[in-house]
Amino acid sequence: MTTSSVLLAVENLGVHAGARPLLRDVSFSLRPGEVLTLLGESGAGKSLLAQAVMGNLPAALRAGGRVLLDGVESRAEEARARRSLWGRTLALLPQEPALALDPLMRIAPQLSETHELVRGAAFEEAEAAAARDLDAAGLAASARRYAWELSGGMAQRAAATVACAGGARVLLADEPTKGLDAHWRDHTVAMLQSVQRSGGCVVVITHDLRVARALGGQLIVLRAGEVVEQGDAQTVLASPRHAYTRRLVAAEPAHWPRRATVATGAPVLSAQGLSKGFGGKPLFDGLDLQIHAGDRFVLQGPSGTGKSTLGNVLLGLLPADRGVVRRAEGLSSTAFQKLYQDPVGSFAPSVSLESSLRDVAARHRCAWPGVLQQLERLGVPADLLGRRPAEVSGGELQRVALARVLTVRPALVFADEPTSRLDPLSQQEAMDVLLDALDERGAALMLVTHDEDIADAVGTTRWRFVQT
Amino acid sequence: MNGSLLDASALTGRRSRRAATRRRTGFCILASVAVFSLFGPAVIGIDPARQTLADTLLPPGAAHWLGTDVLGRSVLARLAHAARLSLGLALLAAVTAAIPGVLLGVVASWRGGRIERGLVMLADAVLSVPGLLLVLLFAVLAPGRYWALYIGLSLSLWVEYFRVARAASRPVLAGDAVQASRLLGFGPGYVLRRHLLPALAPVLGTLLAFSAAQAVLALAALGFIGVGLQPPTPELGLMMIEFLPHYEEAPWLIAAPVALLMLLVLGMMLLVSEGEPA
Repeated sequence: MTTSSVLLAVENLGVHAGARPLLRDVSFSLRPGEVLTLLGESGAGKSLLAQAVMGNLPAALRAGGRVLLDGVESRAEEARARRSLWGRTLALLPQEPALALDPLMRIAPQLSETHELVRGAAFEEAEAAAARDLDAAGLAASARRYAWELSGGMAQRAAATVACAGGARVLLADEPTKGLDAHWRDHTVAMLQSVQRSGGCVVVITHDLRVARALGGQLIVLRAGEVVEQGDAQTVLASPRHAYTRRLVAAEPAHWPRRATVATGAPVLSAQGLSKGFGGKPLFDGLDLQIHAGDRFVLQGPSGTGKSTLGNVLLGLLPADRGVVRRAEGLSSTAFQKLYQDPVGSFAPSVSLESSLRDVAARHRCAWPGVLQQLERLGVPADLLGRRPAEVSGGELQRVALARVLTVRPALVFADEPTSRLDPLSQQEAMDVLLDALDERGAALMLVTHDEDIADAVGTTRWRFVQT
Repeated sequence: MNGSLLDASALTGRRSRRAATRRRTGFCILASVAVFSLFGPAVIGIDPARQTLADTLLPPGAAHWLGTDVLGRSVLARLAHAARLSLGLALLAAVTAAIPGVLLGVVASWRGGRIERGLVMLADAVLSVPGLLLVLLFAVLAPGRYWALYIGLSLSLWVEYFRVARAASRPVLAGDAVQASRLLGFGPGYVLRRHLLPALAPVLGTLLAFSAAQAVLALAALGFIGVGLQPPTPELGLMMIEFLPHYEEAPWLIAAPVALLMLLVLGMMLLVSEGEPA
C-alpha cells in the first residue's frame, strides 16, 4: 500500500487525561472509497477518536500518535495542523444533526454560505450549487425553511449536505442513525455510501450492528479505550473472535430469544372509539383496544404518526377528542406509569437520584429498604444514588427510572422507546430487566419501538401506525 | 461523549473561577455599604438634619470626615442615612415586586388559556408605560412620601419577574420530569418545590439584583429632579442636586453621593456576574 493512495491513516493514536489513558493504540488506514466503522458501548472512546482525528479534543485531554490526512502528515497533538483542512478535506457530521444547523438561518443560505466561504465559490455559483445539492438530497421544497421546521430525517440530510458542501473527502459521522427509524436509518446509510462512491472515505461511529453490516469495509470494536477486535466488518460480525465482540453480536435484537408469553389476567384498561388529532389533522380515529394484565402490546410506525400521543391519551395525560378510556375498577390513580426515551429528562435535574426515589417512596409509603432491594435486583449499584441524573449513564438511569416506576406498583407501563439510545448490550440488559420485573408483577406493557427485531422478540400484540 | 463532558467542565472551571472572584468582590462592596448604612448612623451619632450655620462648607476633617454642606450639616451622617434609605427601599420594592410577579408568572404558564392571556395583557399594559413615569405618577399623588415611591417602584418592577418566571417555567412544566412526577402521584406543591423553584432560583437571583439596582437609580433620579423625596430627607439624588451648585468650591461634596450610588449599583451587578450558578 503506497502512502499516496491513502486518504486517512492513523498510527498509534491515543488520548490521555493526565496520566489516565482514555484511548490506546488505534491504527488504521483508509483509501478513497473505503469505510471504517467504530463499534462499542458508550464511553468506550469512539467519540474521542473522532475528536482526536479532527483536532478538537478538549483542552484537558492530550492526544498522541500520528495522523495522515490527504498526504499531510502531522502528530496527533498538533491539532492546529489539521484545522485548516476542516470543511475542505475533513468534515464531521455531529450527533443530533438538528442541533448542528443554525436555528436562525434558512437551510439554503446555510448551504450556499458553505459553498461560498469554505469552497470559495462566487456568490451566484454558490447559490446554484446549494440549489443543486438540496435537490439531490430531496430537500428542494425545504430550501426556505428553518432547521426547526424540518423532521429529524430531513434535518439529518440537511446537516450532511452542509457538512459535505466544502468538498471534504473524509467524513466522520458520530452516531448518525441515533434515534432514527428503519427508513431513515437506511437513508442515512445510503447517504454515507454515496460519499464513499464519490471517492471519499467515511468513518462511522455507531452502536447499531445493522449499520456496520450495511456499510461493510473495516471494523474496529472498542471497549474501555482499547481495540478488542479489528478487521473486515463482515468477517468480524459473522465470526467474532473476542469474547466482548461475541457478546455484542449476540445482544443484537435480531438474536434475542423470543420471550415466552405469560398467562394474561384481568383487563386493566379498555378504550372505545378513541380519536385524537392536532391542528385539524387526525392521528387516529375510532380506535378500540383492550389491555390485560401480562399483555405486551407493541406500537410501531414512523415518527409523527401518533404512537406517543395514543400512550398519553391512555395514561390520561391528554384528553381524547372523542371516545372513552376506562381503567379497571380498583386501580389506583398511579397504576399507569411511563418510561421515557430520554431518562435524563424524566428526573428533576437538580437533586440526587436518592432524593427523587425517596420522595416517591415517601409519597407511596414504601419502606426505603424495599426500594434499595428493588434497585439491587435491577442491578443498580448503590453508590450511584448520590449522583444527579445527568451524571449517570443512559442504561443505568433507565433502570433507576424503572425502579421508580415499580415503587408505585403499576398495572400498566407505557414505555416510549426506552432503550433506543443504548448500545446492544445495555439495551438487552435493560429490556430483560424491564420485562422480568413486569412479568413478576403481572403488569401489562405497552412498548413503542422502531425496532422490528425487538417487536418480534417482545410483543404479544402488535399494532402498526401508518402515515396518512 | 466523555470528551465533551470534560471540555465543558474545564471551560466552566476557568470561567466560574473568574465569575466567583467577581461575585466575591460584589458581595464585599455590598456588604460594606450595608454595614455603613446599618451601623453608620448610630456610630457617627450626628443628627443628619442638625444645622450649624457657622460651619458651612467645611472641607473633610477630623470632626466631619466628609466635610459639611452649605447648611453646616455633616455629609457623612447624611450619606449614611441616605444609604440606609436607598438600600432599604430598593430591596423592599424589589422583593415586593418579585413575590407577586413570580407567582403570577408561574400561574400563567401553569394554567394557560384565558388566565394566561389576561395576565400577559395586564403585564403588557404596565410595560407600555415607562417605569419611571409610573413611579412619577405615584410620587405626584403623594409628594415626598415613602409609600408612594415604594408602591410606584414595585408596580413598575413586577412585570419583569412575571415575564421571566412565565418563560422559564414553561419548558419545565412541559417537560418529561414534571409529567413523570404527576404520573407518580405528586401534586402541584411538589412540582413547585422540586422542579420549578430549582429552575427559577438562579434566574430570579439575577433579576433581584438587577431590579434592586434599577430601584436605587430610579429613586436617585426622582430625588435629583425634585419630584421624589423632599428636603430635608437625606437621599442620594437630593444630595447630588443640593451639592451641584458647589461643585467648584467643594468638589468632595458631590463626589460622595455619586461614589456611593456607583458602589451600590456596581456591587449588585458584580454579585450576579455571569457564570454557572454556584
